[in-house]
Amino acid sequence: MYGLEQVIIQFLLNFTSQESINTILNDPRIVAIIIGGLVAASGGLLGVFLKLRHMSLTTDAISHTILLGIVVAFIVMSSILGLEPDLSSPGLILGAALAGVGTVILTELVQRSGLIKGDTALGLVFPLLFAIAVLLVSRFTSNIHLDNDSVIVGEIGVAWANTNTHCYTGCEDVVITPEHPAARVGRVCTNCSPGGINPRSPEAVFTEQCSNCGTYNAAEAWAQGLTDVQPLLVLWPRSITTMGVITLLNVAFILIFYKELKLASFDAALARALGFKPGWLHYTLMILVSITAVGAFDAVGAVLVVAFFIIPPATAYLLTHRLGWMLILSPFLGAISALVGYDLARANLLGWLPFSELIPGLTWNTSISAAMVIAQFIVFLLAWALSPEQGFVAAMLRRQNQRRHFEDQVVMGHILNHQETLEASQELATDTLHQHFRWTPARTQQVLRRLRRLQLIVITQNRVQLTEPGVRAALSFEQTLRTGS
Amino acid sequence: MQRELPSSVPLMTDSNSRRPALPGGIWRSLGITLMAILLFVLITNQFFNVRYDYTLLVVALGGAVLGLLSGVIGSFAVLRQQSLMGDALSHAALPGVAIAFMLVGRQMGALLIGAAIASWLGAQFIRAVTSTTRIKQDAAMGITLAAFFAIGLALLTIIQGQQNASQAGLAQFIFGQAASIRLDSLLTIALVGSAILLITALFWKELKLLTFDPVFAATIMRTQPVEALLSTLIVVVIVMGLQVAGVILMVGLLIAPAVAARQWSRRLDQMVVLAGIFGAFAGGTGAIISAADSGLPTGPLIIIMASIIVGVSILFAPERGVVWELWKQRRERVSFARRNVLISLYRHAQSHGDNYAWAPQELITGLYDGPGKRALGWLEQHNQAVKSGTRWQLTGSGLQAAEQFLNEHR
Repeated sequence: MYGLEQVIIQFLLNFTSQESINTILNDPRIVAIIIGGLVAASGGLLGVFLKLRHMSLTTDAISHTILLGIVVAFIVMSSILGLEPDLSSPGLILGAALAGVGTVILTELVQRSGLIKGDTALGLVFPLLFAIAVLLVSRFTSNIHLDNDSVIVGEIGVAWANTNTHCYTGCEDVVITPEHPAARVGRVCTNCSPGGINPRSPEAVFTEQCSNCGTYNAAEAWAQGLTDVQPLLVLWPRSITTMGVITLLNVAFILIFYKELKLASFDAALARALGFKPGWLHYTLMILVSITAVGAFDAVGAVLVVAFFIIPPATAYLLTHRLGWMLILSPFLGAISALVGYDLARANLLGWLPFSELIPGLTWNTSISAAMVIAQFIVFLLAWALSPEQGFVAAMLRRQNQRRHFEDQVVMGHILNHQETLEASQELATDTLHQHFRWTPARTQQVLRRLRRLQLIVITQNRVQLTEPGVRAALSFEQTLRTGS
Repeated sequence: MQRELPSSVPLMTDSNSRRPALPGGIWRSLGITLMAILLFVLITNQFFNVRYDYTLLVVALGGAVLGLLSGVIGSFAVLRQQSLMGDALSHAALPGVAIAFMLVGRQMGALLIGAAIASWLGAQFIRAVTSTTRIKQDAAMGITLAAFFAIGLALLTIIQGQQNASQAGLAQFIFGQAASIRLDSLLTIALVGSAILLITALFWKELKLLTFDPVFAATIMRTQPVEALLSTLIVVVIVMGLQVAGVILMVGLLIAPAVAARQWSRRLDQMVVLAGIFGAFAGGTGAIISAADSGLPTGPLIIIMASIIVGVSILFAPERGVVWELWKQRRERVSFARRNVLISLYRHAQSHGDNYAWAPQELITGLYDGPGKRALGWLEQHNQAVKSGTRWQLTGSGLQAAEQFLNEHR
């Protein structure tokens, strides 16, 4: 990870200065949005396939149970191996991935026993594993990095502060020897002890000792004023690398196995018949879900991460039929939601619309990850309302169009039936026309206005008549009625 | 897993469909549960110095009543294949709790009403999404669960940011804290609980029909009000259970006792009673452990107790359990080996034209080495075969048994 960061920073330094990189990376808002966007992109990509395979709730279960993997790996690594793991250590990610796949396998085992059906198995397995994890957290890992609050909401707001330091120039370690001008040297009594030899007594032996001697790396030396050379430092938030690598992994997986994934998601039986191994793909997908969830765990917690897998793909599903478009839309909508969500959490929309200034007294400071999910939900609701095919508005417009079409046909059919007949003068008088349909006069006039605008009818001396195109339209409608197509 | 031979299947179902799975199965598990309660109280009291004082009894009773209600109503949810609906609805309750708190402060009644309204809205949202779009039930539940929970969390963090002294009780809704049950809330729980049980009893026939055959039910009654009643009952039970189990783990309390009870009985009435008892046991014991050791949240403890019950049930339930299944397989394997050894002896004798021809042991047990020897020993004991050195011969009764078997299966 560290080496990778170095390569990226080296690359960025070709274009921009170290100060501007640090300004960007020390801005909590930008870091939170980048990380939220990466979580949303990974979750959104995998979520599309999970959605198509009707496994949305499996994600929910996995995102809960990875906690058990993390906690067990944490306890093993810290108390048995004596390490100090953080959430990006390979051990924890491995533990989480095992727990995630374990959940799926355990659920399938329970289902296969035939004693417990379908979703119920999932509902039994994941609360149990999560319960064990929560108890372990509250019992064994109290006072350290994992606690039940960060488990629930994550810590995306402080991700910017958790950094690796990279140094580019002026990186020489500073060695402070007693001769160094910055060294603090004093005389210290070596054989004194409380109740024993007093420092004032003649037996006391003194030596010169240096209180700040030793080796300092460039950053420490600069911070403590031990050197005049300012090192070129870049503080790089670790979560960006972790989530970035996970996102790349997911993108690579989907690009490489796109065809297989598509086939297995839409028609698993055909995939098996063609000689693919859908089972293998299934478990790989579950491993990736677990890894993504553990990467996101730090940022958004164990419960909210499920939203990043479910809501953006569902939104994309409302907007398009095509798998390819879903795979583009879903991460994109997720990332937009991350951007809007951060500002929503700080009551300051898009950085330039502060609610608090518009409405005095209306300020809040809420969980960023929760606000990102709320933003996803708002996008979902918008898509539900405005989707061209499945949205409310579209449905309303469609109904209105159908009503208009129906009205047009009724009126035109009526005119066609009567316009060459004897009673035409009674049947086709514009002021009494509404009586034949039992409509209100206003509605009838509206229909007539519309038909005139379309030049399907003309009104001459209080009588409606079809124009040439009007006759054709009415006849073709009659034709369809008769043939029933 | 090996199932019965096809020919024996009609026989099995025929004889079993008219009587309960195991007469007395329910009594047996009831007795086991009672003993488990006594044992639990004894062990916690003797070895962990848990004092069963007034406060603890109130907490235990509260947990037990809530567990009982979850078990009873959860049975219907499980049988209707709506287990995970409980998960979505319990998460959906959180914003209701937060909004009620913002409006009226920390009053348990108001918080529960808020939770119920939010949970009900969640149910309506799921229905609306699945009925107007192509999105399926699972994704709709996931969306509701995550979005409502996020709204609830956002509101909770706003409340916590306001430095309100009495907001401490809100986090308990996430993992559950039984220690918060006082006598007055126990009375409320008991009152609402009796109402729920009464309603269940009154509409028993309708609920049963709707659960097992909704299509048939629709032909003879209006199912919509009954469905609405059932989902209202589920929402109310979830909302009340949140106090002890918390929003994340409530689904476990709802379905685990019902799943365990399902293993012991195939009758709805027995299953509901058992699920209530199991739920009460899990709720009560979880509450006691949590209250006695205040560092532990109640929800996870209850879920672990309930899961232990499920594990025991899956292993040991009569006629369904894993152990029962293994034992049955073993028994079948043994009788299969005995029969095959007997028939091999008979066929060998027939091929030599002598009913009492001697056959070498290897010839008979060749296929069934260990089981074959044991089977021969059994035949010898039961006087159907005799041994001389390493050779075997049918006896009169053995010959008769073999002929009878072959006649029956010709």
